[in-house]
Amino acid sequence: MNFSRLLVVARKELMDSFRDKRATYTIVFSSLFGPILIAFMFTQLAGQERAAQEIKIPVTGKENGPILIHWLEQQPGVEIVDGPKEAESAVRDRTVEFVLVVDKKFAEKFSDSRPAPVQLVSDSTRQSSRPKVRRLQSLLNHFNSEMGSLRLMVRGVSPLIASPIKIEEVEVSSAGQRAATIFNFIPLFVIAAAFSAGMQIATDATAGERERGSLEPLLINPVPRWQLVGGKWLAAAIASLGGMAATLAFTGFTLSKLSLEDLGVRFHLGVPEGLLLFAALAPMGLLAPAIQVYLACFAKSFKEAQSYMAFVLLAAMSPGIISTFVPLGDKPWMKLMPLLGEYVMSTDILSGKIPVPMLFVAGALSAVILVAILLWLATRLFYSEKIIFGR
Amino acid sequence: MIRAQSLRKSFGNVVAVQDVSFTAANGTVTGLLGPNGAGKTTSLRMVYGLVKPDQGNIQVDGNDVAANTSAAQACLGVLPDVSGLYPRLTPREHVRYYANLQGISGADLEQRMQSWFDLLDLKSVADRRVGGFSHGERTKVALARALIHNPQNVVLDEPTNGLDVVSTRAVREVIRRLKSENRCVVFSSHVMQEVSALCDRIVVIARGRVVAEGSSEELLALTGNTNLEDAFVSLVGPQGEAA
Repeated sequence: MNFSRLLVVARKELMDSFRDKRATYTIVFSSLFGPILIAFMFTQLAGQERAAQEIKIPVTGKENGPILIHWLEQQPGVEIVDGPKEAESAVRDRTVEFVLVVDKKFAEKFSDSRPAPVQLVSDSTRQSSRPKVRRLQSLLNHFNSEMGSLRLMVRGVSPLIASPIKIEEVEVSSAGQRAATIFNFIPLFVIAAAFSAGMQIATDATAGERERGSLEPLLINPVPRWQLVGGKWLAAAIASLGGMAATLAFTGFTLSKLSLEDLGVRFHLGVPEGLLLFAALAPMGLLAPAIQVYLACFAKSFKEAQSYMAFVLLAAMSPGIISTFVPLGDKPWMKLMPLLGEYVMSTDILSGKIPVPMLFVAGALSAVILVAILLWLATRLFYSEKIIFGR
Repeated sequence: MIRAQSLRKSFGNVVAVQDVSFTAANGTVTGLLGPNGAGKTTSLRMVYGLVKPDQGNIQVDGNDVAANTSAAQACLGVLPDVSGLYPRLTPREHVRYYANLQGISGADLEQRMQSWFDLLDLKSVADRRVGGFSHGERTKVALARALIHNPQNVVLDEPTNGLDVVSTRAVREVIRRLKSENRCVVFSSHVMQEVSALCDRIVVIARGRVVAEGSSEELLALTGNTNLEDAFVSLVGPQGEAA
């Protein structure tokens, strides 16, 4: 079979599309968006962790409870600063995140072994202050039980009596694990790039071609129509794979600039991991443009085609979006499904499990078969007078 | 040579072409003349193989269009009713694209392209994007693109429609040159003067049928009129309705 005409079409479509600033911007932004968002999420997470480790506690009425203040100052990563006079209004106005207020009667009640009042003023609607408030609460609880135990011991009572239960907190969602959830966004953004980077070409070369009246003269050339359709698909697929590779490269670059070790992340997105991910996800770079070329043939105009594309993109991203909340699971059949398989395989790679080579082959093969079917269907549309003249 | 026999085509309930037959010989310019909506464009689309006739058949240099579309298309150069250019490509790229699709490339192509650009006066704009081109320039680019493979048969759908005088003259020049090279030229128009100035044979189409055929003298004789416009009106009816 002679593919020379197919290559002629693909080359023209690529050249045409790269002259279109919109198309170029789409590719650049779609491949930058993911890495930037991932970097943002990691820095947020790291910032929260650090903030909880090292806290500045604004204290109003320091002089009222020197024992407590002294104890707090001994704790690692804690710094005591002067709190505002009007604690509640200051928190409400968001000039401070939270305030520890030591009551005037603290020292007196404390030495009488009565509960000494302190106030922890905070605003629970403020997401960012939560880890710090939690840290301060646990510090106060710690002080409480330490002092209580000392008092019981002084009175000759075992402090264990005062602890009917022992709470041991096992935090499953460690920073490292939360970081791993963020990693699940990587395949999501790469798949999104597969759909968005080739979208412009897939729609412009089909619906756009017809809208502008250039389809009619094109079809008069003695070229088999499957080669025309194939060439248009190939151009879109090259853009799509390019967008995916760029997304992965940008993500790898961004992650290398962040110090993820602080978060307990052991995974490293280097060149070998990147290539593995690319190999797992590449079938989508072939399949996505085929879906888009086929659907865009039905659209009466370029705009109509683009609105179809928005739905396709959303549908393609949904398994990825769901997987960031609920694990997709690891059923063997999933790996053989297009799209789902790509997500599951990349989740495996990101958690350090390398899928068997057969799965890569199976993914590529199922994509190639689907591409062939979709292009065959699209070619049939290119023979329809309704499609050619847009009636 | 193009032979169309008893073409018929309907879209849904609308019969676009009822019965159209004509023969366009080499070395002659054949004009399809008819009012808007007479079925000229649909007839030509059947000739270049994008619309399948419900009945009838077409042969281009002996190749049956329905049975052997690619072979027939290979002997055709077509300027459809819209030029259909890519705004971001230059004339040179347009011509190169179609030439490559026709299997022409290299020095041969560059040479042919240069001679077309000279003839059509496109040299100065050959490397500019066609997005900002005038209607006349676009038509000339589309013409160069359609003829780059030196087709024996040339089909032009309303080539001078909406063109200024200079561009019209360039198109006429091309048509005369094609004729002198013994090619077969078929073009459609609803403009009398255009047809009478260029055509050796005129096929008058109205309401999807051929209502008269012959040289302009023959048409005058047939209708008993002294000018072609009156002859045309009497053939197609006052509103282009009755035949």
